[in-house]
Amino acid sequence: MESLTASLQRVFGFSQFRSGQEAALTSLEAGKDTLAILPTGAGKTLIYQLYGYRHPGCVLIVSPLLSLMNDQVDRLRMNGFKRAAAINSLTPFGERLSILNHLDQLQFLFLSPEMLSQPQMLNQLQRINLSLLVIDEAHCIVQWGPDFRPEYLLLGAIRDKLQRPLTLMLTATAGKQTRHEIAKQLRSTPAVVTESVNRPNIFLDVENVADEATKQSRLQDLVKRLPRPGVVYFSSKQQASDTALWLQQTAGVTAAAYHAGLDAEDRFKIQQQFMTDKLDIICATSAFGMGIDKDNVRFVIHYHLPADLESYAQEIGRAGRDGAPSVAILLYAPGDEQLPLALGQSNRPEAETIQRYYAHPQSFAADEPQIHLLAFYRDHGISQAAVERLFAGRERERNHALSQMVDYVQSPTCLREKWLQAFDEAAPAHDEACCAPSNQPLDLAAIHLLQQAVTPAPIQKVPWQERLARLF
Amino acid sequence: MEAVDLGQLLSSKQDRRIRVIENLLRGKKTVSTLYWGQRYHLLPLLNLSKHLARGGLDTAIQDLQQRDWVTVDAEQKTLRLTAKGEVGLAQHAYYRPVTVDQWVNWDLNAARQRLLLAVQVTSQFAHSTARYYPLATDQETRRAVRQWFHGAKGPALASDLATALTASLRQLPNETASIMTDQFTGFDQPGLTLEQLALATDQAIWQIRLREFDGVAQIARDAWQTTHPLHNLLAPLWRLPVSTSSQATLAAVTAGGDLQRVADRRKIKLSTVREHLLEAAIMLPVTDFPYELVLPPAMREAFRTAVHGDLDSWQYVALPQAMQAEYDFFYFRLYAIWRMKQEVPA
Repeated sequence: MESLTASLQRVFGFSQFRSGQEAALTSLEAGKDTLAILPTGAGKTLIYQLYGYRHPGCVLIVSPLLSLMNDQVDRLRMNGFKRAAAINSLTPFGERLSILNHLDQLQFLFLSPEMLSQPQMLNQLQRINLSLLVIDEAHCIVQWGPDFRPEYLLLGAIRDKLQRPLTLMLTATAGKQTRHEIAKQLRSTPAVVTESVNRPNIFLDVENVADEATKQSRLQDLVKRLPRPGVVYFSSKQQASDTALWLQQTAGVTAAAYHAGLDAEDRFKIQQQFMTDKLDIICATSAFGMGIDKDNVRFVIHYHLPADLESYAQEIGRAGRDGAPSVAILLYAPGDEQLPLALGQSNRPEAETIQRYYAHPQSFAADEPQIHLLAFYRDHGISQAAVERLFAGRERERNHALSQMVDYVQSPTCLREKWLQAFDEAAPAHDEACCAPSNQPLDLAAIHLLQQAVTPAPIQKVPWQERLARLF
Repeated sequence: MEAVDLGQLLSSKQDRRIRVIENLLRGKKTVSTLYWGQRYHLLPLLNLSKHLARGGLDTAIQDLQQRDWVTVDAEQKTLRLTAKGEVGLAQHAYYRPVTVDQWVNWDLNAARQRLLLAVQVTSQFAHSTARYYPLATDQETRRAVRQWFHGAKGPALASDLATALTASLRQLPNETASIMTDQFTGFDQPGLTLEQLALATDQAIWQIRLREFDGVAQIARDAWQTTHPLHNLLAPLWRLPVSTSSQATLAAVTAGGDLQRVADRRKIKLSTVREHLLEAAIMLPVTDFPYELVLPPAMREAFRTAVHGDLDSWQYVALPQAMQAEYDFFYFRLYAIWRMKQEVPA
């Protein structure tokens, strides 16, 4: 068999692997289940693409984000892998059927955890030769599992039913506890390939603001002064949309919102506008990011407090992939932790609901998300007591994760140290290019992140005939 | 849809049922929806907003009420424009689509998807780009465009397409042509979203959509020519505005079948045969329906002497008992459709 580097050259035209890719591939080639914890932008997808190229059979990728799956299929096709398909709950019936009928010819198949857990799907998959099982965004096993995607908890059992194929678990961020949990859920003892989550070129900043109004005006001020492009993260779709419009009208920038509420065409267009530098700012929810390859993002601002440091690390990781100075700013107003707390609780049934549901399951409407969740557990034979314990434990974990996040925000000392601590990493010595904790002002000039004075180019309305001519 | 958009669909001379407008937009084709859609001259709206939720017009209605632009009946079912509403609406320059009579004959949403992807693929091909992200569309659109492109690609495709699109768009108002080209995705042009177009042109999203439908219908109609570069891609999307099973019923009846016999042969209920016929009568030109057979002159004459006044005020239950005993509601409704077709030639 040709060397990994020769395959890399042949398929992708690169002569060198990025750090972590080769180690993960070598581990897989040796037949070892592998947990690869590589920072955003490290090229995690290349690992399974190249493995799929080198081995006969189908690479099955379990992916949590529906919108992302089709992007990934497109990306594979762009790289010359035409035998790729995705099935999730949004796939029309006819399309699903045609994919299933040609399952044995596929080289890459993306499935949502819900699809994978359907018995008919498992039956079909048992009949084909799986060269590799990939659990993408494996941290979702821990972050999303009990609250949103109970199906992730079945992955271990499903893996058994598929005769334990060689498994690659991919994630950008996972502390020791998360690693342990991923391995436990998947019933595997993987080799761990890891790179530091630290991104030395991203300056970390936390800013305390008095209230919502101050926060808004500070955001506006920052957006005007920072070099572009940049991403502003929100926890609410509506607020992302409203702020994009407001910034566009008041801050002299081109801005658009990106969230799961947009249809596929709009998501495509906004994403492409951003990629081709036609947009300065994206106002996004967490739906934006996974799978976005743009290396010159200069800033990531968090308008709302993320629920944990792992999400935060994922999201600020979109900045500065080109290695140039960039900044991650978190705007914090007193009481901001209430929002992630409330969002967490709204997904979780109360103890009383659990009791009432287990007593009279038939008197509940299954389309209610919480009831759907309880029905899932009950159908899988999990007792009421176990479910209560599960949610109580989960609540403790979430509260702990949130309190780590709040610790970070309130830290009077080095933010990077606080951040890396959560991933069991030691921080390099603090210097002026490292961070500005909440009690220290942010000096954009000192970190070379002040927008150069630019005269905005007058927007020229192109006549439609000319626009057509340019297209063709 | 905002208040002004909904206002355009209302009248000061006719009460219009909210549910009919909603069902038309959502593509719920019951005979009653189609009948009243025809009465309101709103049939082109059919299927144009499949994702509209039930009750999705409520906000617009409330807004119209607050402005005193409409009155709502006691049962909250119908709307009528007030004089103030007429004046208010007249102050908004509103877009009047020019291809509207074509709309029921096309699946405009599917045609739009195909057009956008075909433009992207051709544009990237013209610039020799081998690697790019295709627009996110459903598999059927991808399949159709792939097949079309396979047959159409060649050195002249891009210039042929540019010429054809220019010819189509020239027939439309300039701003409509601009909105069409601004939303195209292709080489070095990601394309604008509906919302961005609305913002840039200071128009409501629904007006932008009307312009889009106009552009797509114009291009689709021109692509009917076999020499048009998009002919093989778009012509298959032309359709009779009548379901295939109604077409089959209509053909059987036209061939001289008694309605009950047609029902027996097609293994459907008599009431279904009648629904099929009413659908066909509403949606097709008067010449394409066998009125002579189904609604013979003597029957028309009987109804002519029994009903008077405005068509909207006719009521089956107000017919003399003897007539009700002789003729089912089906014939009464068919007669009304026939009369309507006399007033507004299809």
